Amino acid sequence: MSTRSAWRALHYSAKRRAFQPPTPYRCFSCTRQVQDPKSEQDRMTHFGFTNVPEHEKESRVGAVFSSVASSYDTMNDLMSLGIHRVWKDHFVRSLNPGTPVANRPTDSKTKGWNILDIAGGTGDIAFRMLDHATNINHDLETRVTISDINADMLAEGRKRSIDTPYYNTPRLDFIEANAQSMPHIPSDSVDLYTVVFGIRNFTDKQAALNEAFRVLKPGGVFACMEFSKVDNPLFDAVYKRWNFSAIPLIGQVVAGDRDSYQYLVESIERFPSQDEFRGMIQKAGFMIPGKGYENLTGGIAAIHKGIKPVVKA
Amino acid sequence: MATMATLRLPTITRRAVSSLQSLRLHQTTPLTTSTSRLIPRIQPLRQQQPHFRPYHSTLHPRLPDHEYTNSQTAILTAALDHIPTHGFSLEALTLGARDAGFLDVSVQLLPRAEFDLILFWLASRRGILRAKVEEGALFTRVAAESGRDVAALSVEEKSKILVLERLRMNVGVKDQWQDALAQMSLLSNIPISLTELHALSNDILSLAGDSSVDGSWYTKRMALSAIYASAEIVMTRDPTPDLTETAAFVNRRFEDRLVLKEKVEGVGQCVSFWGNTAVGLGRSWGLKI
Repeated sequence: MSTRSAWRALHYSAKRRAFQPPTPYRCFSCTRQVQDPKSEQDRMTHFGFTNVPEHEKESRVGAVFSSVASSYDTMNDLMSLGIHRVWKDHFVRSLNPGTPVANRPTDSKTKGWNILDIAGGTGDIAFRMLDHATNINHDLETRVTISDINADMLAEGRKRSIDTPYYNTPRLDFIEANAQSMPHIPSDSVDLYTVVFGIRNFTDKQAALNEAFRVLKPGGVFACMEFSKVDNPLFDAVYKRWNFSAIPLIGQVVAGDRDSYQYLVESIERFPSQDEFRGMIQKAGFMIPGKGYENLTGGIAAIHKGIKPVVKA
Repeated sequence: MATMATLRLPTITRRAVSSLQSLRLHQTTPLTTSTSRLIPRIQPLRQQQPHFRPYHSTLHPRLPDHEYTNSQTAILTAALDHIPTHGFSLEALTLGARDAGFLDVSVQLLPRAEFDLILFWLASRRGILRAKVEEGALFTRVAAESGRDVAALSVEEKSKILVLERLRMNVGVKDQWQDALAQMSLLSNIPISLTELHALSNDILSLAGDSSVDGSWYTKRMALSAIYASAEIVMTRDPTPDLTETAAFVNRRFEDRLVLKEKVEGVGQCVSFWGNTAVGLGRSWGLKI
């Protein structure tokens, strides 16, 4: 009885199961093995110096920024010795947002600039832009939409906006969105797209650049400030030492979170150089003004700009 | 060797060119171990950027007057119309961008902002000056006014005509030109401004038919640059509509230049005479000179 069932089982399996070689198919003329393509889920991306699956990066970055949201400003001051404020002021001044009274068109349908500040959760750049438009150019129509993927950072920005004159006005808006795909923002609708110290954390930077190209009006400007590569080797050595020794330590002491700041410095190290990133901006279809980037403090940070071309009818 | 005949650079550069050509001759011969080492050194020279050349030749196609892209040129050209009212300013650029179908924010395309507008003005006027000469109308007109033949005009006269013609192009922006000069004299802008000034004086001299290949190549360009730069300042204060005061100023400076040239040549002759005399005297006394 047992032999019969065993025989039947053997027979059955022999009939159903196809022959499976111990190793996958490999042709004699080549060394490449046939492999089933990896699914979307398994593609890897970098998270600091470690490699993680793409779908995991978003949540990991989210965890980092949720953890640092409350101490974000103090930490920025300590880590950059206050220089980040100078950089941000310079960034906004060079963009000169807002239309001055002198050359404001009288018959324009849409007044003021429509600015989209990506990854601007705490509103650092957005408030500066609005201040510049209001106080320098006397433009009360220019509005900023702050978009961030992280609800905690947005909450921090909302809290801070209470102290500004723009609180609860149509000039300031907060949305929680992933910059790689923003279907709620119509194409050709934004004058100025800024992303300041944010694009480093994106899972797919090229997708974000393509999306920026889509939402910008023809003639609109993509402006990005991000940590970059220091060109002077001596200064670079000092800077690296500060990055890898001091910053995680400051993070541990002040914010009580060493790992998040370790990720921060690793992600700075992994970000492409000025020229590579300029290539990515060009690949998305932007025109590059002049050299394409401006180094700040010897290349610790760099401002990249791209302009969406106007297609003549 | 046709290029050698048309060279407009001093002898130092000519020597560099001939050494360059001898290197190229080496390259055409079958490669030996000694010449093959030369190849990597030649390669970068050939792949040089289109805006820099190691030597000048009339056989080369002319370099573009400026290096702006199409979109930048569109904005800048439209902005030129707003200069008389708004000056060399960001407003003029913004209005120009709007006229060209761009947005206010698109002036970001010009990283140097106002200074780009000034540079574009200079470069485009320089191009127009050249076009006028190449059409041939400019010298014929001036020659007809003075009742002479075009061929009879000297290099000196031709360059004076060109300087005045270039200054007259600034009449429309005369009131704004001091602002532009102030911008150009900012420390970070000085190198580019001087490059542009050299390009202008070089253009004027080569259009006037100057073919000096010695040290005077430098002095002529420097003298013309000095005359042009000072005449520009005089022009900004010139109340006459057709710049007669400026023209008189330029005439005086050209005369000064001739006087100065005579003085320098006189001093040179004097020194060489006394030097030769001293050497001859020494030799006649039996010194081993």
